[in-house]
Amino acid sequence: MPSWSSFQPFIPIGLALGGVFALSGVGMVVLYRATGVLNLAFGAIGALGAMIAWSLINNAGVPSAWAYVIAVLVGGFSTLLYGTIFGPLLAARDPLVKAVATLGFALILLGLMSWLWNNNNITRSITFSTDNSTAFSFSAVSVSWTQVIAFGFGLAVAVGATVFLRVTKVGTAMRALADDREITATLGVPVRRVEAAAWFGSGILAGITGLLLADLDTLDPTTLTFLVIFTVSAALIGRLRSITVTFVAAVVIGVVDNLVTPINSITNYRDMTPFVLAIVALLFFARGRQYSFARGGVR
Amino acid sequence: MRKNFGWRVRISVAMLVVAVGVAIATTSTVFGKTNSKHAVAAAALKCGMGTGKPATGSPIVLGAIATNQPGTSFTDIPYMANAYFMCVNANGGINGHPIKYDVLTDMTVPAQVIADAKQLISTDHVVGIVGNTDILDCAVNGATYAKDGYFLIDAGIAAQCYASPWSAAVNMGPRYSGDGAAQAAILHGAKTIVIDQSNVPGYQGNAAGIQLIAKAHGVKVVSLSATASSINGETEAERIVQAAGSNGAADLIFTPPVAQQILQGAQKLNLVNKVIWTCATPCNTDSLAKSLGPVWNHKLFVNAEMSDVHDDTGPDTALYLSVLKQYGSAVSGGIGSFSQFGFVIGQLTVQALLSIKSHVYTKQTVNAAIENLKGFSTDMLCKPWYYGKAPVHLPNNTDYTVWPQNGTMQVVPGSGCLQISSFDPEVGQVRAIEKANGL
Repeated sequence: MPSWSSFQPFIPIGLALGGVFALSGVGMVVLYRATGVLNLAFGAIGALGAMIAWSLINNAGVPSAWAYVIAVLVGGFSTLLYGTIFGPLLAARDPLVKAVATLGFALILLGLMSWLWNNNNITRSITFSTDNSTAFSFSAVSVSWTQVIAFGFGLAVAVGATVFLRVTKVGTAMRALADDREITATLGVPVRRVEAAAWFGSGILAGITGLLLADLDTLDPTTLTFLVIFTVSAALIGRLRSITVTFVAAVVIGVVDNLVTPINSITNYRDMTPFVLAIVALLFFARGRQYSFARGGVR
Repeated sequence: MRKNFGWRVRISVAMLVVAVGVAIATTSTVFGKTNSKHAVAAAALKCGMGTGKPATGSPIVLGAIATNQPGTSFTDIPYMANAYFMCVNANGGINGHPIKYDVLTDMTVPAQVIADAKQLISTDHVVGIVGNTDILDCAVNGATYAKDGYFLIDAGIAAQCYASPWSAAVNMGPRYSGDGAAQAAILHGAKTIVIDQSNVPGYQGNAAGIQLIAKAHGVKVVSLSATASSINGETEAERIVQAAGSNGAADLIFTPPVAQQILQGAQKLNLVNKVIWTCATPCNTDSLAKSLGPVWNHKLFVNAEMSDVHDDTGPDTALYLSVLKQYGSAVSGGIGSFSQFGFVIGQLTVQALLSIKSHVYTKQTVNAAIENLKGFSTDMLCKPWYYGKAPVHLPNNTDYTVWPQNGTMQVVPGSGCLQISSFDPEVGQVRAIEKANGL
């Protein structure tokens, strides 16, 4: 077993990635609570925004800040576009159907990106100016401002989303939608507008997630698209309801995935981390219960 | 209800158009540049016969197979060979016959690679197979090539590309290039070498030579591997540095995008000076040097199987740069070892075709001409290239070491030509063959 000092450098890396997974996990849970849709296209939407940002910066000479804003808006509007078209059409369908539909959307976006950015020889990257600025150090491990921002953003969004859902009118409407869409509609809540707000907000978070992961991980459409697995695992551990549990789960997944890196005997299997943690958590939560995929399926 | 739906659709379609428009607009700059390059392709470059007149005869059909998947693409090699063929075709072709070049790709799926070879041989009826650069091709199609009488000029990857009578590569492939990178690390005082590579089929063989060379120099070796598509640059960089310890070195055997990810990860974690960073040939590309930035100046030793075009003022390099500029719009990586491989493959193929005195270009005549290639000198290689009858082929076994310098890869001053160590037994076998044949 490696010494403690071998594990230490992986803690900030894991916390930063965990923070971004939490950011996307929160976006996924909020959308699910408002619309009943588990958005498996979350990663692909973020990837599209990040790829567009890269092209704007490198091909069109757009200043980075503007490119990032556009990337985030692309995430917001493309998610809103999907939600506006398919949300109402699939509103009455089973959650599994809705989730699979978003998987189709993810594959369409992945195909679009493969078509537009078909050059696999180019080395693409998005780097923030904060990457090489040290925020603080501990035990000879430097923590960059990007890592601090990534974790802090995840935490802030988790807290903000919790407060938003509890305090604001729209948040209350979203929680009501989660309980019963039809009754909420009969109470005069503008269901479509509330859902649109959820789609757009979730898409904005997808755009931010895509940019952060492009810096912290890699700017590759396929990789970014399938990093959604980490997010889905965290959201499932939070049973698609609890933002707090989703946040904690995402951070734990990020940290554990990185902490096993120095352990040579299992390091090549660390991609299993989100699956293993999700299965263990779901089995734990499902003790003595019947568990189904449908909303409110835990009895 | 109907009215609302129409409004929604209109807004949605408008947003979709805007999104796709932004995407296309941002990528179209590249397309625009390529088209304009094509437009000036009529300048007076002399390739092949150098007549300056387009070839109009019946085409000589050649083919190639290259890996092209996220994180691993070798298409630049056949695309650059094609650029040279375009230049040859614009200069009289091969005695009036233009070269038609079919480039097929695969995603490291054995059935797909087999189907590609079958298409080239049975459907396209190619008379020669040149420029192959594929992770699986030599391993899965070798028996077919041998049975059907094809002699490949390729850029090899799998061990079978080198350990066979039917394939001669212009490059060394990951194993021997990794050897060269390890030699650079040893030369600079490494006591431990960490090999890190993509766990593609057959990757274990790449470390075998390094282990023998390191052992001969009393250096410890740690072998790591990872799935390229799931690598996190920072995590992988930290993993390498920990495995290397003090006085350690990293020997990266990855394609440029993945190497960049790891090296940038090292930079973000302030690990640039923790180990001696070395890399096999794929890192020898200006685009990598540019994206890494000046922090990596003189910090990364890259084994380069071809000459440094920034210093090399020879005629072949000058022609390579001109052909790349005028015909190489599809060569996405630009200047670098990959496109140099393609150019040399193109030159070798054309030399073989022009040596056919009967001017009859069948599978038999073309492959006999390829097998008879010998003493091909170019300023891009340290020593002349040859094919010939031999159980193994590694004609490029002496090369260069380059490092990043302000956005370009340049030869490490004073490094000269580096002989890949004969402690790797297959290199020793090749040297014995060369000695016996006076090569």
